[in-house]
Amino acid sequence: MRRLYLILSEGRLMARTEKVLSAKEAVERFMKDGCFVAIGGMHMHNNTMALIREVIRQNVGAGRLITSPSGSVNADMLIGAGLVDELYCAYVGMEHLGLAPNFRKFAESGKLKVRECDEAFVTYTLRAGASSMPFIPLPKGLEATSVPSMNEDDYRWTSDPFGGEKVACLPALQPDVALVHCQKADQYGNAIFEGSKFNDFLMVKASDKVILQVEEVVPHEYMLENAMRVDVPAFLVDAVVNAPFGCHPTASHRYYRFDEGHIKEYLRACKEDFDAYLDKYVRGPKDNEEYLEVIGGREKAKELIEGGVPW
Amino acid sequence: MVEVKTAELMASVLSKHLEDGDVAIMGAFSAIPMLASRLAQMTHAPNLTYIAGGSGAINPLLEPLVASSCDDRLLKAEAVLPLSDVIDFEAKTEIDIFFAGGLQIDKQGSCNLLGVGKPGEIKFRGPGSVGLPFLSRARRFAIYAMNHNARTFVEKVDFISGPGFVDGKDFPGGGPSLVVTPICVMDFHEERMQLKSVHPGVSVDDVVQNTGFELRIPDNVPQTGLPTEEELELMREIDPLGVARNSL
Repeated sequence: MRRLYLILSEGRLMARTEKVLSAKEAVERFMKDGCFVAIGGMHMHNNTMALIREVIRQNVGAGRLITSPSGSVNADMLIGAGLVDELYCAYVGMEHLGLAPNFRKFAESGKLKVRECDEAFVTYTLRAGASSMPFIPLPKGLEATSVPSMNEDDYRWTSDPFGGEKVACLPALQPDVALVHCQKADQYGNAIFEGSKFNDFLMVKASDKVILQVEEVVPHEYMLENAMRVDVPAFLVDAVVNAPFGCHPTASHRYYRFDEGHIKEYLRACKEDFDAYLDKYVRGPKDNEEYLEVIGGREKAKELIEGGVPW
Repeated sequence: MVEVKTAELMASVLSKHLEDGDVAIMGAFSAIPMLASRLAQMTHAPNLTYIAGGSGAINPLLEPLVASSCDDRLLKAEAVLPLSDVIDFEAKTEIDIFFAGGLQIDKQGSCNLLGVGKPGEIKFRGPGSVGLPFLSRARRFAIYAMNHNARTFVEKVDFISGPGFVDGKDFPGGGPSLVVTPICVMDFHEERMQLKSVHPGVSVDDVVQNTGFELRIPDNVPQTGLPTEEELELMREIDPLGVARNSL
């Protein structure tokens, strides 16, 4: 009997904690109003939209928001819902589909405090946060832009203790919670990026709490068989939220493409009646399943898979 | 001969600017630079390495060329790295040529993606500076502009996202080397932009009228060389969906 138990639980005498939660539970538990939030993905890919929609449903605000570095619908929707006080802005836009309307409107009117930065800032500050450096100096040249003078809170100067030269420095940022997308995770939180990894693992390492939104929860044995491919170890993860097609209208790498038609609808709605958009697509559906029905269900999903992964 | 689209003309000019052995990098909204890079590999620069921005893909095969710089079709490549590694290459001055653009571009080649206005009074908020500060650490950079008018080509950018030939500069980058727009090609003379060639159907005066600063005009301004038929065929193979071709 004892022997059988050991086999079933990899030698553990007590059951290991499973971290699969609903989006509702995960956001309630790990995102506090006014906290510092990091959101992963790049441009219109791997945005944790199921979590973002849940954050809007629960009306929990981000005191500060950082994207990794190129934000898209994820940042713009949170800003448009009035849930972001301050944004570390390296880029928020829709790439070839245009600018981000809510971000523009809130930044231009002064309702959003913009902490000006760039992709190096996001990478270095999270790298510093991930290893608890007190701060991090920048390579020469990055300070030759207007960015430091536009953000004196986050760009400071010191002298190089080895050569004496003046160098620009950034703080080490440790967000309170990171919302990051992986395609696969097991029930404990071991996870794999099946496509580009972007800066998302850095974001996971730097943040205090981590909610992973995934396309599928796979058995732990899958990770044991593929340990060399596992990108995120379970101990860094606080919740796994299973949300197939949950990145919609953005893409999940190697699972489905971004929905250009829906993003265009979103851009129009931002200019016309953004509240109506939020009512229809965010506040109306109670979870990701209901959201998928609103956008057209399986048929829409099939269309975005577009013949499956290209290799 | 098939009609040459302006975007293909621009890609062909940028392609010729790439040297064998260069390491090139591009960011968001880069269909034309991607087309130019792949074309260069297929014509004269087999040892060109190009990094498709945020996707982390190195030498994507572009079958087919796609609009987003982070599309998963770019992962059909020879290596795919996390973005933080790409940042290291940029910082360590490994990049020979960076492709840049801007809401505003000035006569010294500085680019602005931050916004239009003054500090504290930004009238038009741009998307943000993204990777442009790393222009200061690239051996050279080429600017591609999707439009050419006096609002884009200005005397001095309102904000510097990527530094061109900034007076009193102290950074390792070599500065801007080429500017390609839908109407002309420009380069630099004594750290100021000068006209190099005009596209077919465009006069020198058209360029002057659409440029918001005093552009240096050499005595002889030729017409921009058209892509050869072979180059056109290759470009249509790389871009069967017309993503770059129809982007203007």
